[in-house]
Amino acid sequence: MTAPAVETHGLSKTYQGKTRALIGLDLCVERGEVFGYLGPNGAGKSTTIRLLLDLIHPTSGRVSVLGLDSRRQGVEARRRIGYLPGELRLNDRMTADEQLDSLTRLRGSESPLRAELCERFSLELDRPIRHLSKGNRQKVGLVQAFMHRPELVVLDEPSAGLDPLLQTEVRSLLRETAADGRTVFLSSHSLDEVQHAADRVGIIRSGHLIDVDTVDHLRERALRHVTIVFAGPVDATRFRGLDGVRVDSVEDSVVRLSAPEPAMDAIVKAAAMHEIVDLVSQPADLEEIFLEMYQEGDAG
Amino acid sequence: MPAELIRRGLLDHRRALVGWCLGIAGYTLMTSSIFPSFKGSPDLTKLVERYPDALKALFGISGGGISTGAGYTDAELFSLMLPLIVLVLAIGSGARTFAGEEDAGRLELLLAYPLRRRSAVLAKGAAVAAEVVLVCVVGFCALAVWSAVFGMGLSMGRLAAAMASLVALGLLYGWLALALGAAVPSKVLALGVPAAFAAAAYLVGGLHTLAGWLDPFRVFSPFWLVGQSPLQNGVDGRGILVVLAAAAVALGAGALLVERRDLQTP
Repeated sequence: MTAPAVETHGLSKTYQGKTRALIGLDLCVERGEVFGYLGPNGAGKSTTIRLLLDLIHPTSGRVSVLGLDSRRQGVEARRRIGYLPGELRLNDRMTADEQLDSLTRLRGSESPLRAELCERFSLELDRPIRHLSKGNRQKVGLVQAFMHRPELVVLDEPSAGLDPLLQTEVRSLLRETAADGRTVFLSSHSLDEVQHAADRVGIIRSGHLIDVDTVDHLRERALRHVTIVFAGPVDATRFRGLDGVRVDSVEDSVVRLSAPEPAMDAIVKAAAMHEIVDLVSQPADLEEIFLEMYQEGDAG
Repeated sequence: MPAELIRRGLLDHRRALVGWCLGIAGYTLMTSSIFPSFKGSPDLTKLVERYPDALKALFGISGGGISTGAGYTDAELFSLMLPLIVLVLAIGSGARTFAGEEDAGRLELLLAYPLRRRSAVLAKGAAVAAEVVLVCVVGFCALAVWSAVFGMGLSMGRLAAAMASLVALGLLYGWLALALGAAVPSKVLALGVPAAFAAAAYLVGGLHTLAGWLDPFRVFSPFWLVGQSPLQNGVDGRGILVVLAAAAVALGAGALLVERRDLQTP
């Protein structure tokens, strides 16, 4: 059996003895999946990623990447990883081509996908990096992360500075990588960025992993926004009693509710006691579920 | 592979290196070209020889005074300016290559590549060494030519040994700067500590004969260890080895300590 792409046990990181950036993280990312790692800025996403790469050392706990201990077998692990830092700093005087040459030599292995990726992102190869826009620099970062066909690609906020067209391109690159049996670990502060690319999503907040679920599941748990227009004024209390249903507003004959999918039947049945003019049900954006979870986290 | 870091370290500094080479050739030319006027003027040399002992000690004016090519070159170049040039180059390069690169956030990507941090430190150490050696070789060649042109009659063997002592000093302080930057994420420390150590060691090396209480400390001054007024007195081979060993210990310590710490966030 192949080891998971990423596995952490009780992983904690405390900076300078006081800032607790990560607390007891237990996480398992399987091979061949695109895993979205979501959280607001400062939640501990980059800390987790830098622990995977052994750029920083854990205060306690263990990390294994592709079955290798990230501390003791870090060089071997990093040989099989591609990484795009959240704050990408390249050598400004080099051209993109020289930079990629240099990184290929540094890795000491071939870059079989380089030409294809450069073409795909229409990268400007012969201009010094200091003359490139933020988006174009980010492309250089993406190419170097993927060019050696790594088993695990770790991307820290990859869409920063990319236009929507390129974001779509990156998304399909992630899907292809997973289809190839390789793994993508993708951090983001925006659920929208990962919901089309990721299979599973882990949500982290203030150093705690709040939840791990499939994107499909998250959608199911998502509240629908239901707007019912009645022929005349109604008493909204009948809706308040329904399981999982929240009455957002009652204006004369218009009732607005939030409810999960399983509650829809009860809502429609309750509403049917009156004459209905219109009924609209909209799925909530994942962003809202995400915010909801943060608030739950706050309450707890 | 770490070799790429050596190559890149040198390429990144290539413009600055050309400047250093032109600088050392130009400065030695300027100084050497004045020598014929000292050679032909005993009054001027007598005047210089009446300088207070402290000044003479500090500026390496000894024995044959400055009317000979060796005495003149020792006093004008090897007592202060050449060590200063080599040290500024070495400390700047050592501090920039690790602490500076980390500060600029460029180590984040490099150290996520499959190489050990200690190999990165050693490779960068090799690049710093190559820079120091290059500038000293250029200095040697330049002085060899100027000596012939201006009739200074320098011994090539002693000149080579004098340059070797500068290489040793450069490696010590350059590698110390690199190692400090590897051990602690602070460019200020990486620049400041070696510079302060070098200044203190220079003063101890220059003044220990005058200030008696400094005398016991002279063995801690790398400037004293490698030998002073090298063109007149030769260098101390064992001292050079001691300084090189200390340089290697500093670099080795940096290579070990870098593994223990967290890389700073860009």
